[in-house]
Amino acid sequence: MDLLPSAEQAEIAASIASFLGKELPMTRVRELGAQPSSRDAATWRTCAELGWFGLGLPEQAGGVGYGLAEEALLFREIGRFLAPGPFLATVLGARVAAAAGAHDLAAAIVAGSTVVGSAEADRSVAADSVLAADLDLYDAVDADLVLLATDAGAALYETSAFSNVVAHECIDPLTRVATARAEGVPAVVVVPSESEAVYRRGAVLVAAMACGLAEQARDLSAEHARTRVQFGKPIGVNQAVKHACTDMAVRAEAATCQTFYAALTLDGGSVDAPFHVASAKVVATNAATLNARAAVQVHGGMGFTWEHDAHLLVKRAHVVSVLFGDRREHLARLLALPPAQRGWA
Amino acid sequence: MDLNVSPADVEFRDEVRTWLHEHGPAEPRPRGGRAMREFDVAWQRTQYDAGWAGINWPVEFGGRGLSLLQQVIWYEEYATLGLPGIDSCFVGNSHAGPTLISRGNEQQKSFHLPKILRGEVIWAQGFSEPEAGSDLASLQTRAEVDGDELVVTGQKVWTSYADLADWQELLVRTDRDAAKHKGITWVICDMRSPGVDVRPLQTMEGEHDFAEVFYDEVRIPLTNVVGAINDGWSVAMSTLSFERGTAFTASQTKLAETVEQLIELAHQRGIADDEVARNLATARAEVAALGAMTYAGVSRNLRQPEPGPEGSILKLFYAELSQRVYRLAMDVLGPEQLRLGAAGTHPDWHHDYLLSYSFSIGGGTSEIMRNIIGERVLGLPR
Repeated sequence: MDLLPSAEQAEIAASIASFLGKELPMTRVRELGAQPSSRDAATWRTCAELGWFGLGLPEQAGGVGYGLAEEALLFREIGRFLAPGPFLATVLGARVAAAAGAHDLAAAIVAGSTVVGSAEADRSVAADSVLAADLDLYDAVDADLVLLATDAGAALYETSAFSNVVAHECIDPLTRVATARAEGVPAVVVVPSESEAVYRRGAVLVAAMACGLAEQARDLSAEHARTRVQFGKPIGVNQAVKHACTDMAVRAEAATCQTFYAALTLDGGSVDAPFHVASAKVVATNAATLNARAAVQVHGGMGFTWEHDAHLLVKRAHVVSVLFGDRREHLARLLALPPAQRGWA
Repeated sequence: MDLNVSPADVEFRDEVRTWLHEHGPAEPRPRGGRAMREFDVAWQRTQYDAGWAGINWPVEFGGRGLSLLQQVIWYEEYATLGLPGIDSCFVGNSHAGPTLISRGNEQQKSFHLPKILRGEVIWAQGFSEPEAGSDLASLQTRAEVDGDELVVTGQKVWTSYADLADWQELLVRTDRDAAKHKGITWVICDMRSPGVDVRPLQTMEGEHDFAEVFYDEVRIPLTNVVGAINDGWSVAMSTLSFERGTAFTASQTKLAETVEQLIELAHQRGIADDEVARNLATARAEVAALGAMTYAGVSRNLRQPEPGPEGSILKLFYAELSQRVYRLAMDVLGPEQLRLGAAGTHPDWHHDYLLSYSFSIGGGTSEIMRNIIGERVLGLPR
């Protein structure tokens, strides 16, 4: 039992962070935010070469062979760096293709040549072999396929098969949102939830992104509190500011511990996994939302400007709150589940 | 990262569960006084005789020499069965004991540690004073060296079970001219020494476990000093880091049980209120996170045996979460919150609700925890 990253895992996370820091600094992220697709094609190819899209797939399926914990480490960094693009749907899409036995498709997704955006639908909708539903599409602008993951299973559909596609401006300038209609759209591949718990994996990885956001809000705020001088002292000497930063640290710690715990229970096939996944989604998105809000406050007037990054944290926190089940949905799931067993045996 | 449990740990959990189920006291724990002491030490002795005391303590002092993880497993199983709180044996087992293991000399360890495990003694804490609460280092209880003894005069406060205790972990000022953190000594005080006067205090939940303790020229052998004279602050910080680490695993597990009892109670009462339902679900999620944070603490302990400031994050989160949960219990009870007594499967909501007010004060207030986290984890200026 070890809930902290091993030396190898810490190395993986550090190299991801180092890559994102170089490839997608905030100046570049903001440039991408102003373009029709916020996905950077060149960076995407490099991410594919680094094996990100197959990180958690077995080697025989063209993946790297790591587990959900390593995928969660990846998405925590993606959250921290506000990396734009359909990383999550692509990683999950490769898994759906591989699980359905569509090996060429899985290989194309892992290689970065087929891009997968995500779709969300009303909870009553199942990802069937023929889909009839109203959809919300995320980062599907230049995606070849979209992923729909539901309790009943997950499927990939051709983006071009949807009708009434209407683009909307998203609260998050780094995320592309559209509404669309699927009128009898056939699935490219479908997997039932028993074979791959795609919805739950997605919830864990969104929670991991939320952890990264919560930590970034904490770190930007602590840095500002250490260096911004007012009344002749760094503002962090004031408990009103210091304790706001501390609360961010507490929420980030609760979020990361629960998210990695959930990742491990889901990967290990524990009966408690649904309970821990829902808990992780609730605790982590709560941390992202509250920490982002506090980051704006700690930064004062600067925090309210477009120029500062704090508002991008606030807005991305809304995205992670909505994707793969919002707070109300996961709270309802939590109350409907049996209590978790104490201990992990 | 992994949740792999060794076959030995699985077997250990099963053994613990079976033994506690068969041997845990069935009769209620007396509330306070000698009867409670007799009950607590007898139960400690039963645990010791069966080999369950000091699970992660060294074998040479009567412990089992097992891992911190196994100690945590014990606490989890203990609390899941709803066994009596560890209350009066807490300071010995989770406070003074670990401090002596870490900082005591051989003679102190071999004399005191087995007695704690065998249930022969009760320990009390003697840190806070009327003028030294959060600012603990400003404590004024004075100790002067006279031959091979310290002579102690002053007052301590908020000492739980002082009237029942045999020994006390006492912080005294041995150098009044030094900077305030540098003139403090951690010493073992025999509570039956002449000049020790215990005056009970009643707390807001109505109990009398608290006391103030007065010292009038109390003579303590210098051999009772733990660490060095004037080095007591670092010993005390080590004591508190144990307290803020995994010592409260049983309480945290109990909180998980409490949330389940509360959900059951809400079902029984047919409460179909969205706000209550969401708060109950949120409590479930946050209690799950509390458990994960405890396991992260155990994992950190494997890398760095002396607990660090991260323990303050766990303590702060636990204190505030408990208060939210017990406040929610009052909402679920509705008008019945005004009538003392049992409801549902929880023995005493009111007692635990009122007691929860102390969680953000005792062992360092939540404000002090926030300062520690801000300064030592985030590197914010003082």
